[in-house]
Amino acid sequence: MSVTQNGKDMIRLEGVSKWFGDFQALRDVDLAVDRQEVVVVCGPSGSGKSTMIRCINRLEKHDGGRIVVDGIELSDDLRNIQEVRREVGMVFQQFNLFPHLSVLENITLAPRNVRRRPRKEAEESAMELLRRVRIPEQAHKYPLQLSGGQQQRAAIARALAMEPKIMLFDEPTSALDPEMIKEVLDVMIELAESGMTMIVITHEMGFARAVARRMVFMADGEIVEVGTPEHFFTNPEEERTKQFLAQIL
Amino acid sequence: MATQIDALEPLPLPEGPPERRLPPRQWIRENLFGSIFDSVLTVVFGAFLAWAAYRIGKFVFVDADWEIIRRNLTTLMVGSFPRTELWRVWAALFVLAASLGFGAGAVGAQRRREVAEGRAEPAPKGVAARRLAPVVILVSVLLWFSGSLENLLLVLAIAAVGAVSNVVGRRTPRRLERYVPLLVLAGILIAFLIIVAFGGIKWNDWGGFMLTIFLAVGGILLSFPVGVLLALGRRSSLPAVRIVCTAYIELIRGVPLVALLFMGVFMLGFFLPEGVARPDTVVRVLVALVMFTSAYVAEIVRGGLQSVPAAQVEAAQALGLSPYRTTRQIVLPQALRSVIPGLVGQFISLYKDTSLVFIVGLADLLTISENITKQPDFLAQGLIVETLVFASFIYWTGSYWMSRESQRLERRLGLGER
Repeated sequence: MSVTQNGKDMIRLEGVSKWFGDFQALRDVDLAVDRQEVVVVCGPSGSGKSTMIRCINRLEKHDGGRIVVDGIELSDDLRNIQEVRREVGMVFQQFNLFPHLSVLENITLAPRNVRRRPRKEAEESAMELLRRVRIPEQAHKYPLQLSGGQQQRAAIARALAMEPKIMLFDEPTSALDPEMIKEVLDVMIELAESGMTMIVITHEMGFARAVARRMVFMADGEIVEVGTPEHFFTNPEEERTKQFLAQIL
Repeated sequence: MATQIDALEPLPLPEGPPERRLPPRQWIRENLFGSIFDSVLTVVFGAFLAWAAYRIGKFVFVDADWEIIRRNLTTLMVGSFPRTELWRVWAALFVLAASLGFGAGAVGAQRRREVAEGRAEPAPKGVAARRLAPVVILVSVLLWFSGSLENLLLVLAIAAVGAVSNVVGRRTPRRLERYVPLLVLAGILIAFLIIVAFGGIKWNDWGGFMLTIFLAVGGILLSFPVGVLLALGRRSSLPAVRIVCTAYIELIRGVPLVALLFMGVFMLGFFLPEGVARPDTVVRVLVALVMFTSAYVAEIVRGGLQSVPAAQVEAAQALGLSPYRTTRQIVLPQALRSVIPGLVGQFISLYKDTSLVFIVGLADLLTISENITKQPDFLAQGLIVETLVFASFIYWTGSYWMSRESQRLERRLGLGER
């Protein structure tokens, strides 16, 4: 994985490391994600998957290496961070909707306050997004009046409202009941087909086969193996990958 | 045809939870006389309650001599406020009724929209009447004591103004809704100015219930924002801010309110530079009350801030919200609604603590209740009981109203919450 500045990469991590106290969560991670590429990250818990994507929008501060997002290098400069966060949408395992705001207000909050959209315009595009994730009828409800699947779709709509160039998904279906996983994955598949650049942490291997251009397997804070889904599932090279796949498949 | 079907079998009722509603006699048997122990408790406490009700009723309606209240009602309400200037107080009440009525109307309209959009339950019937009940009871008692037709007409006119502005408030266009709180605050400010400005009555002549209410409302309105800022400051990432706020909170909480009141009145002068006009006693007392209460408010709010999950902040950050916006729109709203009971408790405390101002020579409601028993006509007749009952009743209606409103607010905000 050579490091070149050809401007084609949407996200570029070079030698990124991260410590929590004495524990090293990321060891010298290199990863480049193309425009419109969908990358699925998997690996055992504690392997640094979440930490890696949380570094990309600076929810965690990396301790070593470089992270460049759409040509902007993440530094301590607050303006850079805000600029990157505007380009990067994130969907969390526990949805993290704002419980005191209605679904519509959840979605319009950032466009109105960060992008300074007028209320009416923001609400119209929010309704458009809610139709896209198929819950327009829930617009005026509070998040906790919705099912888990509906909440996660609302959270996806909230992230999309900022018109990000990149979407990060941190185990988006792990907190859902089985019958609700498909409705969320369907929305994500449509998003991938529309050409969104996505990094998805998930163990939904059917989803990975369907949309991932590349699979990334992480263990102990390192990227162990990278490959196409076909190669990854049928013919993994590393011993740790084989063990992991044997456990989850 | 219909009778035939009826005769066959009863139509199945729509499914619902089984209703558990006992006839009164059975309810009494189950709940009050369920066992021997229950029966004994019921009889003992029933007897005690009956006795207490009898004694209180007998005192209020038979034994008590309310003449002292009747004759001193104006003094109890406004202290030594010049009687020729009382129109200012009435005018202020009109303005207050107009702005509060308007605000209530606007909030009501917002509520109805939420109900229409299906995210709030409609208010139960008669809720407005029940919310106003403590105020109505208080005003009725005051009118009964005053026995003046003129006052009755004035009160009715104020109520009418409140009702009309309520109707106007319901028609607030949605885009102007965010200015409603400002408008209500402006109304309160105008009411205040009517009394003090334009050759009005300076603070030193304020007294009675008016002074009590002024100190309580002013104290609440000022200590709330100060307390919130202190709580945020105590969690600030800037060490200087954090240390100053923490030191302030811990210092103030370690000092009795009485000491603060004394310091405000007798020591403030040492801290102010030469040539700066010394503020009135009422201002000094208000500052002391606000300093004291805001330290407690800060700790209550800090508890609320800690209850907001870090994930909420992360979600806001991930959307690109600035730290200010994140605090203002995500953290504070959730933090404050989780500490409503504690906050209201603190404000009720403040309301009654205003009675401590007698130690620095101000004549609030409680002080006057005691002073009037020393008038020549009422001296040494043991009338302190009547005046204390009257003052306590006034304090109680206010506290009870705040307590009820806080419970209502909790229920209202509780819907759709974690």
